[in-house]
Amino acid sequence: MFSVKLIWRFILMAVLLTSLLTVAGCEGLTDDLTPSGDDERPAVDAGTIGIQVGQQSPDFSMLDTLGNSRGLYDELSRARGVVLYFNMWCPICDAHASHMRAQVMPDFPDVSFFLVDYVTGSVANSRAAQLSNGYAGMEVLVDADQFVFNLYEASMGTTIVIDSAGIVMMNEDYKDGVKLAEVLSTLP
Amino acid sequence: MYSRVKMPLALLALGGIALTSPAAWAASCCGGGSATSLILPKFSQSMLDVSFDMESYNGFWDGDGTYRNDPPGSDLNQYRLNLGYAMRLGSRWQAAVVAPYVWNSNQYAGLSSNTRGLGDMTLGVTYEAFDGIKCVWKVKDWKDLVPATYFGLSLTVPTGISPYDDVVNSFDITGRGFYRLDANVMVDKTVYPWNATLLFSYGKYLSRDVNREYGKYVEPYSKTLGDRMLGTATVGYTLFLDNMDTMTFSLSYSHLQEDAGDIDGRVDFTTEMEKNSVGAILAYSTMSREWVYKLSFIHASPYSGQGQNFPVTDIVTVGVSHVFR
Repeated sequence: MFSVKLIWRFILMAVLLTSLLTVAGCEGLTDDLTPSGDDERPAVDAGTIGIQVGQQSPDFSMLDTLGNSRGLYDELSRARGVVLYFNMWCPICDAHASHMRAQVMPDFPDVSFFLVDYVTGSVANSRAAQLSNGYAGMEVLVDADQFVFNLYEASMGTTIVIDSAGIVMMNEDYKDGVKLAEVLSTLP
Repeated sequence: MYSRVKMPLALLALGGIALTSPAAWAASCCGGGSATSLILPKFSQSMLDVSFDMESYNGFWDGDGTYRNDPPGSDLNQYRLNLGYAMRLGSRWQAAVVAPYVWNSNQYAGLSSNTRGLGDMTLGVTYEAFDGIKCVWKVKDWKDLVPATYFGLSLTVPTGISPYDDVVNSFDITGRGFYRLDANVMVDKTVYPWNATLLFSYGKYLSRDVNREYGKYVEPYSKTLGDRMLGTATVGYTLFLDNMDTMTFSLSYSHLQEDAGDIDGRVDFTTEMEKNSVGAILAYSTMSREWVYKLSFIHASPYSGQGQNFPVTDIVTVGVSHVFR
């Protein structure tokens, strides 16, 4: 029914097209073609200052959307831990944040939860986005120059948990929130 | 971010079809750049297709379907250059490959990002459940009402840059990182000058291991995206010009949804989505039907209830196809 020659011609075209576009400067082409499940997390020296799980978090401060300065270790002195969720006011961010607000926060009233806005660039813009997205009841920190975003090598959805001693307990995507709840339940 | 990019109905005049699937997950926060698959006209040997999508973002629907504005001062766009090739394998069989190249342009009041890369490619094979031309000028017999029906399988290959690649952040994303197998059915009927087309597509993602998120290695886990369904209805009207070139105007309505995914056996609600959109397509075909020029506009309404957990976008597509007899 098929011409073998034609099928090979089609395969050749597909390979050529892929090769051309790859040569054109595409990165990471093969990573998703053959995904790895190997644990390649780097070893971390506990107690050193850094952003990896087990390290002592560096201090920082940001303005919140009401214009108040909020320092990490000041917050830690008043709570069992701090959760930072890096937010860019997008659908996935909203799915994560609304889930965190409804399903996780009520179980940990002595933990401080913050959305970190790293895209709007000012307190006024961030406050406007906070209100229009329905998060008036959550605290939002404004990372106007992406200092903390870069410090934590974060991306959209990155969720950081820091315990009251300043130790980083989690630094990864929110996903379905299960990992966050597990980590929070282990806080001293 | 899905919308339909429809090939010109003028091709239907030859019993061929132009169609399918949707452009893509466009926002860089969601992954982007899956491609469009091609359908070769009947009795043609091969076809080259080049199109350029310009997708602009205008807020999003949250998980409850409520429309939300983008942050103040933002201008979010994705551009895709789609290169496609389709060829005949047999009298009723054909295959196609489409590769998109994606540019992300995200401007916020406090942040600017411009990135680019290959999107997710699509390979497809289609069976034509008919031999002759099914387009008619008049219905004289019940047989004249028999539509042209196509059954297809397409495979989306994760050649794009996904969140699981070695990337810096979400602005770099041009693909979703998952293989997906779609079963497609298309039913088309033309009684000149009118045409109607129905398309249904059901796709399943393949589960994969993840050990890295946005360049950072994490505790490995297994992830699957939810099943995907796309339905599109299109109605078109063809004008025959004095020189026998044709101009076809079409309107379309699409519904796209994706179920909740799965992480290590648990339900992952974050990728569950829905989008409704309408489209207007203009296609100009030469008398020989060897060259087809197309322009389309796909619009999603920025109102609550038109989608869920998905960006609201408008997509303008310009393109050209050349058919080899």
